[in-house]
This record gives sequence, structure tokens and C-alpha cells, in this order.
Amino acid sequence: MKNHFLYVAALAVTLFGTSCSSDDGGDSTPAEFVVAFQNPSLSFDTVDSEKQINLVFSTTAPEDGSVTISFTTENTEYDTDFTTEPAAASGQLTVDFTGGATGTAFTFNKLQDAIEGTTKAVNFTISAVSVADAKIQGNTQLAVSFTETAAPSGSVSPEVGGPNEDNQVYVDLSSLTQTSAKRDSWDLGFYSGSDFRVAINGSIYMAVAALESTDIDAVTEADVETLQPQVAVGTFDAANTVYVDDVTGSLDGTAIAAISETDADNPVYLVNLGFAVGTTEPEVGSEAVKGDARGWKKIRILRSGEDYILQYADLDATTHEEMTISKAAGHHFTFFSFDTEEVVDVQPQADRWDINFTVFTNEIEGFGSYGYADFITTNSLSGALAYPVETATIAYADFALADVDEASFEDDQRGIGSQWRNGGGPGTLPSLKNDVFFVLKDTDGNLYKIRFTALTNESGVRGYPAFEFELL
Amino acid sequence: MSLNKNRLFIYFSFFFSVGILAQEPASVEKDSMAMQNLNEVVVTGQINKQSVDKSVFEVKVIPRETLDRLAGNTLADVLNQSLNISIQPNPSSGKSSVELFGLDGQYFKILVDNIPLINDEGLGNNTDLTQINLDDIEQVEIVEGSMGVQYGSNAVSGIINIITRKDSDYQWEITPYVQEETIGNEYGFFDQGRHIQSLKVGHRFSDQWYVNGNVTHNDFTGHQNNREGEFHALNDGRRGYEWLPKLQYSGKGLVSYTGDNFRSFYRMEYFNEQVDRYDSVVRENFNPSTQTSNPTASDDIFTSRRFFNHLNVAGQLFQKVNYDISASYQQQKRDVEQFTYRINSREKFDVESQEYESRKGFYSRGTFSNFFTSEKTSLQLGYELSNINGYSSSAAIAFSGNNIARRLESYDAFATAEFALGERFSFRPGTRAMFSSQFKTQMAHSLSAKYAFHNGYQLRAVVGTSPRNPNFDELFTYFVDVNHDVQGNINLEPERGVSTFLHLKKNFFQKDLKWRLSSKISAWYLTVDDRIELTIVNETPLAFQYNNIDEYRNWGTSFTNKLVHGDFQFDLGLSLSGESKVLNSEDSFNDDYLYALQVSSNVGYQIPKINTTFSLFFKYNGPEYQFVLDPEQDDPTFMRSKREGYGWMDASIKKTFMEDKLQLTLGARNLLDITRINTSSVSGGGTHATANTGLLLGYGRSYFVKLLYNLKI
Repeated sequence: MKNHFLYVAALAVTLFGTSCSSDDGGDSTPAEFVVAFQNPSLSFDTVDSEKQINLVFSTTAPEDGSVTISFTTENTEYDTDFTTEPAAASGQLTVDFTGGATGTAFTFNKLQDAIEGTTKAVNFTISAVSVADAKIQGNTQLAVSFTETAAPSGSVSPEVGGPNEDNQVYVDLSSLTQTSAKRDSWDLGFYSGSDFRVAINGSIYMAVAALESTDIDAVTEADVETLQPQVAVGTFDAANTVYVDDVTGSLDGTAIAAISETDADNPVYLVNLGFAVGTTEPEVGSEAVKGDARGWKKIRILRSGEDYILQYADLDATTHEEMTISKAAGHHFTFFSFDTEEVVDVQPQADRWDINFTVFTNEIEGFGSYGYADFITTNSLSGALAYPVETATIAYADFALADVDEASFEDDQRGIGSQWRNGGGPGTLPSLKNDVFFVLKDTDGNLYKIRFTALTNESGVRGYPAFEFELL
Repeated sequence: MSLNKNRLFIYFSFFFSVGILAQEPASVEKDSMAMQNLNEVVVTGQINKQSVDKSVFEVKVIPRETLDRLAGNTLADVLNQSLNISIQPNPSSGKSSVELFGLDGQYFKILVDNIPLINDEGLGNNTDLTQINLDDIEQVEIVEGSMGVQYGSNAVSGIINIITRKDSDYQWEITPYVQEETIGNEYGFFDQGRHIQSLKVGHRFSDQWYVNGNVTHNDFTGHQNNREGEFHALNDGRRGYEWLPKLQYSGKGLVSYTGDNFRSFYRMEYFNEQVDRYDSVVRENFNPSTQTSNPTASDDIFTSRRFFNHLNVAGQLFQKVNYDISASYQQQKRDVEQFTYRINSREKFDVESQEYESRKGFYSRGTFSNFFTSEKTSLQLGYELSNINGYSSSAAIAFSGNNIARRLESYDAFATAEFALGERFSFRPGTRAMFSSQFKTQMAHSLSAKYAFHNGYQLRAVVGTSPRNPNFDELFTYFVDVNHDVQGNINLEPERGVSTFLHLKKNFFQKDLKWRLSSKISAWYLTVDDRIELTIVNETPLAFQYNNIDEYRNWGTSFTNKLVHGDFQFDLGLSLSGESKVLNSEDSFNDDYLYALQVSSNVGYQIPKINTTFSLFFKYNGPEYQFVLDPEQDDPTFMRSKREGYGWMDASIKKTFMEDKLQLTLGARNLLDITRINTSSVSGGGTHATANTGLLLGYGRSYFVKLLYNLKI
């Protein structure tokens, strides 16, 4: 009996002894604290006089500290041609940061422009970081040019605004600038070129349908009741693309027909105002771009010389408002908002942006219009076009000017589109595609390769894209 | 003989819906008619065909011995070999569920000692088979067909009743064992493979009191295949595991009392499981400025806990009426810890914990029988009631942001009667009324009849019905954005399942019982009406909603044989079934029957001289077909998509040493190395068509060794 128990006890010990599993799981490598300039170059045009120079960290700063930056000059002199904030002394300045920060910055003030034909520059170098074991790596140097030059490389984090994707962000690569406008800040874009075309705001899923009537005051809600369910995005009706603008960006395909000189040829349009920017916080990794429905309007657009005349009213109104809208020289469109009943600023000048981060009304062939979050259009109206390259064909680092295939550029603003991310579906969230990059021809004809480095932030929250690019 | 005895007991237990009586001592049994039948069997010590004929259901039994030959630790390890049943493993959730007659786990009920076992998605249905530990199990019984009168809703395709051990012939039984398994070709003493340790102790204090308890630790470290585990830092789809790591602890205890005309037991169970899900998507977080990467991923750790309490009393009232009452409180909760993981520095952040899904509540079931002294007529009355609180977070199902908490109360009453017309024919009608807090009153009916022919053939017919209650997805889903509109429907009614079975069987044997052959031919027809499916409720804009709309039909026939000759045993079963779907939820459909073949077989050979048993199990699942729309055609044209057939083979050698005290089992699972089965079916549709990568069924050929010590005093 005793022996049996001993036996059992011994067996139990050996058996359960094996159950202490190892879960150390290999070696962890704590993230290094690396400091670098966000971008290796900065250039001023004649308008700018002050710019912020960003320094970025690889991880949050472990403690309060400072970065020491030295500089050399080229035909410039501190205090005469430029100053910095914080101020520099004997070719060196110190920029402080606090523990937990993800970066820091200093200001560069340009005091005198370069005389045409001469080069004026300041070259900054990160020389020391106060944190122990910190590394200086990547963009360790920054060249500031006093004259406008295309950035040779850079990285940009467009401020799309998180999972509600509040903003349309216009990015100009050569000047490393971004301009943003709230998605629902405008409704109609009146083309400023020679044609008379009016675009609708696809980023809030607007849709319009031409009515029979040419009398805006005579149209009632009852007249359009049966039409309304069809005049929307995402109805899974292959024919519903007539209610939205041509997805390629071609102005010939706007949902509102070209505005005719003959008033009688300009019908009343039923306008679905789409959806306000969402305000809810979705599950991590999802988007909530769609807010409340913005309702309906009826509009009619006429021409008056080189101007547009916009008539608009609520569906059941028997009178209407009228507004004259002029073309804006240097811009693609003059934007109008029903909310403010005013002309609003949205896009930068026509040649001052290359790509636009936006929610977008796209088409899925056979299923009609379909709303896309995280979309990227190119400024195709000014000749900015892009095409994708798979890393399986050639690595991003190896891609050179000689590899550019001009024939691959299609006249379509969706050259990047949604191809930079994997689409989600039931049970899977969209994610960044790491096996593709893009070749982009900008509005000045410069050729870049661009690669997306983030779709979300580190925690997986949508609406925090980032990309890097290099001039070829 | 013990096998046949068990079989008889089970027939009996179903007949009276009193499973625990299977271990009744003679003293309780004497007065009831059924008990007398049983006594005859026990006394004569051989098959009493008349008694067996009394049973109205065809019960398949997986005895303990078979569980041991398969070295089965959980139900998922053993059901692969059962005819008509197939296991649907879900590698991405770690769950495995039952498919029977083409219907999934929602239509199938799992009971333990006659009462449904709770899980985080339901009471008895949708059970994860890998969460059912078999260490204190006497045997597993399977009944096919709708069993609504006996077991209520969600018993449409059939039930499994797990009978636990409640008695012992020994004063002490102490059984520790250890089992080591490879997972496919992956094995490491600590970090890879499946590692099981268990200790079971049983003690009989007296003729009246018996206790037992066991603890089991089952560590399944996951299967990587071509994946790279949780520390992989590239976004190439290879992070994580193909089969999720799963760590289980199970503890059980039983106290049983047996007196004169009274018997009671209390059984409890605690189960804890942790499943780690590492996302394959890696956010590399490359910072071009600093040329550094700090990759992160969004991971989940699921922790499931189950508490199970079951108190049963059975005996006689007024020296006459037999009663059997079970009361149970159960709960199972699945919590999720969601976090972002910094892969290089092994850091968790953004940690959020919440309840994912749960069910908890009270359940009771009672039966009363033996009201008459007549041997020709007997009546059983019973009730079943449950009060279950269900919870589902919006992480589990797409809701409108809010979590769903709902209580489902159900109060059922049922009655069955048996009438014997002469020696050879008897029939048994039954009915149940189901009142619930959610659905309108449902009825279930059954009618069974048996006839014993002169030449020893027995013919049985069983008709039964059972409803299937809508699940939370169907009731509460809310997925609406600019492009989609998919909504649940709180007005759904239960689906209605009806099944009819015919069984013809005979036992052939030599006078001296040198060999014995049992053969059975069965045929069935099973329908499910008002089947819930996603339906287009609006064309423009396109909107979907769940509705009671489709119909499902399955018919088939099977032929099973068991041959015993000395130390040799051979089982062979064939089954051919066809299914037809009337999909009113679709624009068009093809409801032709599509047929599939299954073969199940096992061979056992015992060599007593060297205390060794050789076993080989083989099940062949023939190709299965489905109708899919041909995407090339404009007009709806259906083509058949095919899932290839596959065979599942397990083998083991069991040898005992030291007067059967030490038991060594060596074996292999999935000898044919099945992993992914090709299927040409296209899923998804619309704009989210999924890539066709085949159906993942296994992780490949695995080997195990089990060492068990069995001390009996």
C-alpha cells in the first residue's frame, strides 16, 4: 500500500513537473531612442519668411533632455540672413524636449531673400543628444535653401484626422506642404477653366439627379419621392453611377451636365447632400466616416457671362436663393457650401498640390458607386498621375528613374486610390499593403517614387496615414 | 458482455429519459416496470432482445474503451471517427463544432448526464468540442434525429449525451497519467506540442457514499505551419499561428449517495481555457526619418471559464411513482483582453479587457413515471425549465455599438406514453409544449413504434420534431454604413426541424457465441423549415435582414455492422446522404439533391498473452458538393462546387504492465496527414469575395504517447 502511494507520488511529480512551461519567448529588444530631422531639406519661396523645423524621435523620449544642432552656412550669416528660435550661438543651437514627447522643433526665420541666380543655404547637423545611449540616425542633416527647390526626399503624415477622417488633405511633395479642409465644408465645386462644369463633393457621398423640370420653384418633395432612394452612393445598383461624378476625375463625366448658355437646357437637379463627418468612435481599426445625413436640396445652375448663377432651395420651398459664383484664377474650382451659403477655400492653387487624401466615391464595376475611406487621388487635372509597382517586381530602394514606365500612367485620378491598402471585409480590418509602392509624376513633371508607411497609428487606429518619397 | 449491458442501460435510460439510472443498484430498480426489464437483463447476464426492443431510440455508444484506444482527451479527439458526424474546426477561433446531416452545431445539443452543458454561446448547442474533457467519462452516447420532446429546442439533428462515472467497484482508485503529443511535425518538450497531465482519484466510503475528482492540464501550444509565431515582425501575413495556442485546466468532482429507493449525486466542474490570438497583420511603423521600425500588432487573449453544478435526486414517491429531478446552475464566460503589442520590446499597451460573450443561469429537469401498474401502458410526465442570461459584446458580433444582454426564460412540459399491443408491437407518442419569454409557444412531438418479427429482425420507426432558436447574430446584428445594410431581426421565430428514422436490425450469432454480428440498416428524412437566412429586404438601396425563409432537406441511408470474433473486433459503417436547399432568400436556387458518402470503420485486435491491443480507426468522408452561381454567366446558372473527399485514420497500440496497473499507449492521429482540403466553392460575393484557400481540417500527422498508472485498492 505504502509502495503504491510512493509510486503514485513519484509519477505525479514527474508528470506535473513537466507542466511548468517556458514562456519567456525569446529575447526582447528594447526600442532605441533615435533622433532625426523629419525631413532632410527645407526650401523657402519668396512669400514665406518663417518655417518650423521638426525633429522626430523613434520612440517617446525617456526623459527631459535636449538636442544640440550645429550648422554651417553658405552665403548666409546668422542675424543678417536668418535667425533661429531658440537662438543659436557660435554655429550651434540647443533644442529642448520633455520626457514622453515624440519630437521637438525649432523655428527658422528667413531675414533676407536670395538674389536671383545666387545660392543661399544653411546646413544643420544634429551633433548631440543629452539622453544616454541615444542614437543619431537617418535624417541627421537638414539643408535649408532660401530659394524654392524640389525636395529630393521626405516623409509626410497627412493630418486626415483619425477614424472619422475629418479632412481632405492636399499634399505638395516638392514643397513638403499639406493643406487640409474639412470634408463637409463644401458641397459644389465650380470649375474655373474654360468649360462650365460643376463637381459635387464625393468625399461625403453626395449624389445628384437631373429632373425634367427647369422651374426650381415648381419642384416638390412629392415629385422626387420615388427617385430619392436611388440617388445615393452604395445602393448596389450598377446604373447609379450617373448620379455621381466620373470616378476617373474627368470633368466630362460630372453628374451635373455641362452648364449651357441656353437657360432652358439647364434642368433642376435633385441633390442628396450626403453625410456629415462622423463623430462616433468606432472599434479600433474601423472607420466612422459617415455621420448624420445632411438632407436634400434642389438646385439649378445657369451661366452669366464667365460666371455661374446658382439657384438653390429646400425641396418643398416655393422660392429659391440665388448666388453668382465667379471662376477663381489659378484654382481648379470655386467651392460653395450650402451650410454657410458662401464661397469657401478648399483646394490650394491648381499646381500647388499633387495628391489628396480623402474619403471617395468610387465605382465597383457591376455594383455601382461604393464609398471608400482612406482613398488617395492625384491632381490629374494638373497632370499629376501615378501607377503602382509591386515589390515582387522591383524593390523600392532599387527603383530608379530608368525603371519608370511612362505608358503606365493612366489619365485617372485613382492611380493610387485604394491600392495602397488591403480592403477589409467581415471579420478582417483593412491594413497597409507592404508589397506595393507608387511612381508619381507631380504637377511640375517631377518623378517620385512614393511608399506608404502607415494606414493607422501605432495602436491600429484608422486615419493616420504616412508616406515617404524620393525624387527619382 | 459489459458492452452490451451498457447498451441496454442506455436504451433504457432514453426510454425513460433517466440517464443516471444506468448505474442504479438493484434495490431501487425493483418496482418499476422498466426496472424489471432491466433486472431480467442483469440477472440473465445476456442480451434480452425483448428488453432491447423496448427502447425507441437508436443510440450509438462510444464506450470508455474506445475513448482510451483513441487516447481522447476532449470530445474533439474522438468524434472524427463517427459515422454521419463531422467536426468543423475553426483554426482562427480555436473552436471545433459538430456537423451532422449537413447542419452545424446550432442544431445539435450536447448533454452531460442528461442535462444540457452550457457554453459561452448557448445552453447545449454551439458547443466547442475541444472544451469538453473526457477524463471522468464512462461513455459517450449519440442519438440522431430531432429530439424535441425529450430534450427541447436545438436538438434538431441529434444529441450527444455524455455519461460520467458515478460508481466504482473499488474502495480506492488513483489514476495519474501523462500524455505527450506532437502537433503535426512540431514538438518540443516545453514549447511545442500538446502536453497533458491528469490525476483522478475515486473513493468509496461505503455502499452508500462514493466520491471522485480529477484535475487535468492540457497545453496545446498551437501549430505554426508556415507561420512564424508571435514575435515575427514583418507584415507578410506570417505572424501568429495557423492553429491557435490553447491552454486548458479542468477540475471535476462528484459526490454520490445511493440508498434504498433513493439515489442522489452532486457533480461540479470548473474549466478554464486561455486562447491566444496573434494577429497576422503587423504594423511595421517604419519611420523614414529615423530609419527605424517599431512594429506593433493588435492581439487578443481569450479566457473562458465554466462553472458547472448539477444536483440530481431520483427515487420513488409513495412507494409507487418514480421521479428523477436535476437542478443545475451553470455559467460560461469568455473574456477578451485586447491589446497592442510592441513586438521588438515585448510590450503590451492599450490593454482593454472586457467580457466577450457569456451565458449563465439556472436549469432544472424532472421526470415522473410509473403511474400505472399495467404492463401494457406506461406514462412519463416531465418538465424542463431554464433561465439563462446571455451577453454578447459588440466585439463578438457587429452591433450598433451597444452590447447585448438578454435573458431567455423557458418553461417546458412534456409527456410520453407507451402502449404495448401484444408481444411484438408497441408505440410511444410524446409531446412537449415550450413556453418562452422570447418566442411564441412552440410544440414538439414524437411518435415512435417498434415491431419485432419472428425471425429476430426488429423494425423501428421514430418521428420527432425540434425547433432551433435564433442566435444572437440573427437577432441583433447591426452592420450599416454607406455601402452596407445588414440587420438582425428581433421578430424571428424558431426554425422547425422534423426528422423520421427507420431502423431495421438483427443480431446474428453462433450458439456458443464464438462470433457475433450485429447489422443495422437505417434510413432517414430530415427537414428544417423556416430556416433563418440573410435576405434582401430592399433592392435600392440594397438592404439585408435575417428572416425565416429557407428550407432544408436531408435524406439518407446507412448500413452498419459490428463483428466480434474472439479477440478480434471489426466495425464497418456506410452512409449515403443527400441534401437539398430551398433558398428563397436568393433570387434563384437549385434544390436538387446533392449526395455524399461516408465510410467509417475500425479494427481492434487484442493479444491477451502480451496484454496488448492494436487498434486502427478509419473514416472516409466522400466528396461533398454545393451549388454555386457561375460567375461567368449573366443568367443565373448553377455549377457544382466540390470539396474533395478525405480519409481520417488513427491508430494505437495499448499495452499494460504490472497486472494492468501501468498502461502505455502509443499512437498516431491523422495518419493520412490531412491538412487543407481543396474546395472549388466560392464564398463571399458582393465586393468581399474571399480567396479560395481550401478548408483547413487538420494540422497533419501527429504522434502521441500516453502513460497511465491505475491503482485500485
